[in-house]
Amino acid sequence: MPVGRPMADQPALAIEDVVAGYGGVLALRGVSLSVRPGTITAVLGANGAGKTTLLTTISGFVRPRQGRITLEGADLTRRRPEEIARAGLAHVPEGQGVITELTVEENLRLGALWRHGHTGRAEALADAYRRFPLLAAARDRSAGTLSGGERQILVIARALMARPRVLLLDEPSLGLAPRIVAQVMGLIRRLRDETGLTVLLVEQNARSALGIADRGVVLNLGQVVAAEDAAVLAADVGLRKHYLGF
Amino acid sequence: MREFIQFTLGGISFGMIYAAIALSLVLIWRGTRILNYSQGAMAMFTTYVAFTVIGHTGNYWAGFAAALAAGLLLGAVIERTVIRPVENKPPLNAVVVTIGLLVFLEGLAGIIYGGQYRSFPPAFSITGLRAGSVPLGVSSNDVFVAGAVLAAALGLALLFRYTSAGLRLRAAAFNAYAARLLGVRVGRMLTLGWALAGLIGALAGVLVSPATFLYPASMDSIFVLGFTAAVIGGLDSPVGAVVGGLILGVALNYVGGYLGSNLVPIFGLAALIVILMIRPSGLFSVSTSRQV
Repeated sequence: MPVGRPMADQPALAIEDVVAGYGGVLALRGVSLSVRPGTITAVLGANGAGKTTLLTTISGFVRPRQGRITLEGADLTRRRPEEIARAGLAHVPEGQGVITELTVEENLRLGALWRHGHTGRAEALADAYRRFPLLAAARDRSAGTLSGGERQILVIARALMARPRVLLLDEPSLGLAPRIVAQVMGLIRRLRDETGLTVLLVEQNARSALGIADRGVVLNLGQVVAAEDAAVLAADVGLRKHYLGF
Repeated sequence: MREFIQFTLGGISFGMIYAAIALSLVLIWRGTRILNYSQGAMAMFTTYVAFTVIGHTGNYWAGFAAALAAGLLLGAVIERTVIRPVENKPPLNAVVVTIGLLVFLEGLAGIIYGGQYRSFPPAFSITGLRAGSVPLGVSSNDVFVAGAVLAAALGLALLFRYTSAGLRLRAAAFNAYAARLLGVRVGRMLTLGWALAGLIGALAGVLVSPATFLYPASMDSIFVLGFTAAVIGGLDSPVGAVVGGLILGVALNYVGGYLGSNLVPIFGLAALIVILMIRPSGLFSVSTSRQV
């Protein structure tokens, strides 16, 4: 399949029958899902369902034993994490993405470092500051001095510096106050609406994730047990009670 | 008072050599969390390269440049070949590998160049400078030694602070996981870190060898003192490494000058033990806990 402009029916990200795990334990047992361009897909499920493993497998830190992962048709399956990032996939990990020893601006600059051209990088930085004024105010501070919510904004802003094709977000609401969670979710929705960003969002907090998502995928013990429009999932009382706990 | 000034100035020159070794250890420690016991042996080896080149060309600076280039190359090659397999393995693996490398390099130097002491030329005159009729206790070459290490340290600081390669190097050292997520080729950064360490070590080798003679084990004691300087400064801190080297150099020169030069090695080791006992993270490391 030619790489280049995505065709209308080509998924931004496709995961086909992926099996992955650690040692003797399989965390993903044949997971398939596809993410349409410009949409938010929420991956839901209890602890141990395989949500985080799914993301680390997509971004190359866990090698799949079987299956195939493609980004706009380009095969990512056995590439290394740094090459996958350069191919246009940004992964915001849970909790540990900020490099606390660097300043806010250095963190942001790292996001676009491998992009060619000085002007492109400067523009990306200016964009980030325009979109996130709180980061502009803190640009020379050590990232370690930021609050949890500010760090979450910083890692998302940093991921956007590379103008990724697909953004993977791992538990962006973890450890944040409800008001901040709402802000972060609002930000993700705005990014989709304004920039056409494609997002794969892993969340423990199913209610707020389904609030902004177009599609929802429910994982249980490493397998997809439901993949529906978000509204349909949110309305499915049995599924909600059984797997999502709300 | 005159003696005191002489000992201080003389100590600065030696201190800068310890600082250079300390700096090379810090570069590697920050990137790979490995203590490179072969740093001194690498510097000895590259100094032999300089020795050979000077012998053939008769030009000191050709040898100087050859040593630095050899250091850069040696650091990169060692990282790629023998260090890469033990990165992210239990620390003892790396200890064994770098000590093995030390023995290997010293053995190889003995085979190639023989075990005899060879005199290595200084860059500039080693006649003592005077302020009027007062001897200062330092020579033009001592001034060059201090200046060269200072320039190298400043160059590194500028590289780390103001270039994108420097930002990548720091990101890879502080948080390799996040760096890789952002597309930083961490493996290359580790190679670059080792190469830079090899360069700074090679500089220390050519600078110190006029005072120590050159033989396969000639850098052993310099390495121990450089390591002590790095521990004084905290293994994580490049600035600490330089300050640690200066403190150690001056302090040991007082010991040598006032108490006798045979006490210098004992005091160097005692300083290492005392620092490790009372402040293992070093005098200058910012004791923030690492959040990874």
